[in-house]
Order: sequence, then C-alpha cells, then structure tokens
Amino acid sequence: MEKKRILIIDDEASFTRMVQLNLEKTGEFEVREENRAHNGVAAAKGSTPDPILLDVVMPGADGGDVAQQIHADRHLKDVPVVFLTATVSPREAGAGGLQSGGALFLGKPVSVDNLIQCINQHVRKPAPPESIF
Amino acid sequence: MPKQSAQNPCIRPSLVNVRAQHNVLLIEDNPGDVRLMQEYLSEPSFAYFGRVHAASLKEGIDRLAKGGIDLLLLDLTLPDCTWLETFARIAAAAPQTPIIVLSGQDDESLAMNTVHQGAQDYLVKGHAVDARIIARSMRYAIERKRAEDALAKERDLLHTLLNNLPDRIYFKDEKSRFMRISKAVWEQFKIAGPKEAIGKTDFDFFAPEHASAALKDEQEIMRTGTPILEKIEKEILPDGSVTWAFTSKFPLKDKRGRIVGNFGISRDITEQKRAEEKLQQANTELALKQEQLQEALTELQSSHEALKAAQFQLIQAEKMQSVGRLAAGVAHEVKNPLAILRMGIDYLFKNLQQPDQETTLILSDMAEALRRADLIIMGLLDFSATRALDVVAQDVGALVEQSLALVRHEIRPSIKLIREIASKLPAVKLDQNRIKQVFVNLVENAIHAMPEGGTLTVRAGTKQLTPQDIEHDQERRFGEQFRAGQTVIFAEVLDTGHGIPKDKLAKIFDPFFTTKPAGKGTGLGLTVAKKIVELHGGALDIRNRPEGGVAATLLFRI
Repeated sequence: MEKKRILIIDDEASFTRMVQLNLEKTGEFEVREENRAHNGVAAAKGSTPDPILLDVVMPGADGGDVAQQIHADRHLKDVPVVFLTATVSPREAGAGGLQSGGALFLGKPVSVDNLIQCINQHVRKPAPPESIF
Repeated sequence: MPKQSAQNPCIRPSLVNVRAQHNVLLIEDNPGDVRLMQEYLSEPSFAYFGRVHAASLKEGIDRLAKGGIDLLLLDLTLPDCTWLETFARIAAAAPQTPIIVLSGQDDESLAMNTVHQGAQDYLVKGHAVDARIIARSMRYAIERKRAEDALAKERDLLHTLLNNLPDRIYFKDEKSRFMRISKAVWEQFKIAGPKEAIGKTDFDFFAPEHASAALKDEQEIMRTGTPILEKIEKEILPDGSVTWAFTSKFPLKDKRGRIVGNFGISRDITEQKRAEEKLQQANTELALKQEQLQEALTELQSSHEALKAAQFQLIQAEKMQSVGRLAAGVAHEVKNPLAILRMGIDYLFKNLQQPDQETTLILSDMAEALRRADLIIMGLLDFSATRALDVVAQDVGALVEQSLALVRHEIRPSIKLIREIASKLPAVKLDQNRIKQVFVNLVENAIHAMPEGGTLTVRAGTKQLTPQDIEHDQERRFGEQFRAGQTVIFAEVLDTGHGIPKDKLAKIFDPFFTTKPAGKGTGLGLTVAKKIVELHGGALDIRNRPEGGVAATLLFRI
C-alpha cells in the first residue's frame, strides 16, 4: 500500500518530531516536518501532501493565512488541511475533529489514535478553503 | 364726711362726694339778697361750701376766670346784664360749672329756658326757698355735674375709640339699621361722616349677597342672644370688588338685659387674605416643582444606577478580557508541551518492546496526569473565555436531547432516566456547543452523585416563575434578569443522590471548589457552566430537593 504523505506545519519542533515518529512507526505514513510558517507554501508544493496538519498560532504567521495561501495555489487547492490548535480541546473537538466555519480542527494535546483516525477520515475530503479568522 | 344733723335730713352721705371744699360764687347785686344768702350759707348745711361774692356780671366773669369755683348761684337781673343774656354769658364763661339760677321772677317759661340752656335749677327767691332747699339744690347740682362729667368722659373715651381704631365698629338697632359707626366704617362706606349712615342698613353699602348674609347672622344673634365670634367674612361691595373681614358680632342689650340690637367689630384682612392666597399658590407651585424635582431626581438616580451598572459591567468585561487574553496565552503555551508529552507517551505505549508492569503503570499514570492537566487548562480557558458566543436561535429541548445523547454511555443501568422534554419550545439564541457543555456537566454531576444508582430526571419546557424560584439566589443576580410571574424557558437535571451539604452550598460556584475526590474533577465545571449561562443572559440555580438529591435548573428569557 502506498504510504500517505503528511505535511505537518508547526513551529514546535519537538511536537512535529513526535508526530513523525508516531505516524511513521505505523508504516502507513510518510511525514514531512516544517517548523517555519513562512515556508509552508513551498513545503506544500515540494511534498504534495495529503493532507496537511497545520498549527493555528505560530510566531509571525496565522495558520488560517497559511492555509489560504496554500489553497490559492491551483495545484494545492484541493489538499485537505487539518488545523491543530491548542485553543480547542479534544473534548470539544470530539474524536473526529471539530468542524467550524467549514474548517476542520483537532485540539491539542491529541492522541495518536485520534490523529490517525482523523487523517484517514478526511484524507479524501477537501476542506473548503475558508478562513476561520 | 359732712355731719348728719336733724336739720339736714336730705344729706345722705352715700350721695355726696367727699371733697375738702366746694367754692360757691354768688353773683347778686341786691344787698338784702346778698345778706340773706350769706346767712343761709353760714348754716351748718353749708359747712363745706366756701363763699365768694360778685355784684355784677363782669365781676362774676373776672372771678370765674381765676378758677376754683365749683358752683354758681346766679341772679339773672344784674346791673350790667339781665335775664337770659345774663345766663348765656355766664354759662359761656364757665361752661363746666353748674349754675343755679336765683330769680325773683316766678316765670315758668324763663325757668325752662335757663334749664334748657344748661341751668341745674331755677329757684324763685322768697318762694318757700330756704337754706335747706338751696343746700339740696346745690348738692344735687354738683352731683349732677359730676355725673355729667363722668358721662362726658365716657363718651369721650368711646369717641376716641371709634375715631381712632383701625377696626370697624358699629351699633345697629333691632332692624339692623346703623345707630353708631366708627371712623373706619364711614371711610369704608366712602361717606362724609357717620351721620350719613344712621338709619341705613348693609343693603345701602354692600352688594345684596353679602348684606343678606350679614342680616341673617344678625337676626340669628338677636334671636338667640349668642354672639358670632371671629368669623371670616367675604364682603362684596356694590361695584363687585371683594374684601375680607375678621368679624365678631354681639347682641346689644339694654339695662334690663333685653336684646335691642346688635353691635360688632370687624378687621379688614383683605391684604392678609391675598397674601395667604399668594402663599398657598406659591406652596402649590412649590409642591409641584418639588414633585417634578423628585421625579427628575428619581430618573437621575436610576440613570445613575444604570450608569454604575454599565460601568461595572464594562470594568468586569475589561478585566475578563485581560484575564481572558492572559489565560488564552497561558493555555496555549502549556498545551503545546502537553501535546508533546501526549505524543511521547503514546509512542512509548505503542512501541516499547515487552514493557514490564511497572513501566506500563508509569505510562498510565503519566497519561492520566496529562489528561487532568489538560482538563484544568481547558477549564481555565473556559472560565475566562471572552470569545464571542456563536449564538443561533435554538430549541432548548433539542439541545437537551443532544446533550443526553453525548453522555448516554455514562448512565449506568442502576440509574433510571426520566425525560420530560417539551417539544417545539420557543427559540432562544444560544451557542449550542457551550450550552451542551453546560448540560453535559450537570448530567455528569447528577450521575456522579448517585454511585449506588437512583433516578435521573431531565426536563425542559416553559414555566411562569414563582417567588420561590427567584429567592434562591447566591449572587443576587436573578433579580436583575428575572421577576416572579415572568415566563421563561427552563431545562433541569434532578437526581436522587446525597445532595450538597448545607455548608458547601454557598461555595459550589467557586472556582476549584469540588466535592469530588482528588483527581475526579477540576472543580471548574460549575464555575464555567454558570459563566456560560450568564453570558447568555440566563441563570443557573442549584439547590437541594426536599425529597433528597439536587435540582440544577437553567433559565433562559424568551
């Protein structure tokens, strides 16, 4: 089975490393980390991810803006984006993530199982490129 | 006191004024008559009469001018004057001195003339006129004069009173015709003098309306003999103008006590009355202004209260915003490390080769600790959340059903669930996620309160608030939003657990207060729940049920 390509854009390097370790250990995923928000679009173009895990609050950049920029690219407009945010808890978000204003949220801290479940559920569904901010 | 003697039976001490001496001036030119008179006047009857003699009118007038003469014995035929002229001139020279005429003429008409002109007596010489008679005549003359003087004095006093007092005084006969009036009255009537009023009535000087009323009063007074005291009368003059008087009227009685008329005294109080009316008007205006002022004050006060409340809310909002921002920042900063820990623990759980029991336990404990930390952070975030509510018109009943669905798996078999949820409730603008969060919280609390099982009742509907619903208010916020009689939407959770101890009841909404064992609850649940409900303009009330257990009620305004 072809491994799914995941791009995680988050300024917290320890977190992205953890995610990579956990996801790649399953054998189902190939994870690329990007810790610099302003590099998000380039990284997306370079890796053709499916989907993108995107942190919301990053220094100097807003996750929503990055998502907009990504979806503005015609090659990337259908790539699903899952926002990982510290401002919503797993409880609020529920196991399948929280749909709000058309965007998908996962609340940190998130368990690996929930993360994988969410990725598998939404990998085919493109998130509408609506900014929630 | 003169000596009473057998010769002078006419002397009665009680009739005679005790004086040192009365000086008598005898004006007589006939020497024989003079001698005779002097003889008479020497008798004891005349013990206290001093004697002076003048032989002519001129001499008499000269002597009178010196004063000290108390009585005149006058012969009318004198060398320098005769008959009535004599009398007239002497009377003019001594108007206050009593005069007894001694005349040789037994002329009745002359006698009457002199008496009319003021003579006290007219004695005819030689006609049974002796010392006794002369003495008597002289004494009577003096007494009479004294009485006349006293009367004149009284009359003068009355005159003075009537002419000087500002009050109106009048005397009327039995037909209420004026007999005597004071100066103030004829001035009021605008007549030249009192004489123009004599014989007239009030009808000649006042409008018929007032004159009739006054007449009625006077007739009543004369009929009953009862005075009318201190009556305030409205006097209407013929030209229609009005004056006010403070009047007392009395029955007028004669010496025998018979009512023969009436008299009265009246003071003009028109100015006072006008001043009184002005004062009353001013008072009314003042009262009105005061009322208006009071209204304005009340409005001002309520504006002030509203302003204060608004200010307080603003300050609270400000505070909450800064706390919110701080909390959001802190939460975010803490959550990232927590997320890393989570990932790490998950990795270890999944990938450790044959972990021993202790390692597994440690990892379990770490995961649990993480979960609690996250709950606390979330609770903190919720507590200070100032995110705008995502409000949409909702059916509270539907939200309650959805909340129940979320926690259905937590309802153990030992717990009986009763649902009384009305359908098609009026819509309320609510953030459904937040409200569901609250309701879930309440249901979970109810479930945890019945570890051995019990009955969980969930209700939703509309109701009219009773005073009992309102009274139970920890922070006195109900009163601002809810009133007895108001129709509201309610959602409530009732359990049959052990209830909340009375001493803890007041603290249940305090942050971090919990009755659950350590690790079982963050203690932020109810604090957050209440906050969320109040952000919606509603109220959360939690009280012990009389039958045991707790009733948690949400109220929303329609």
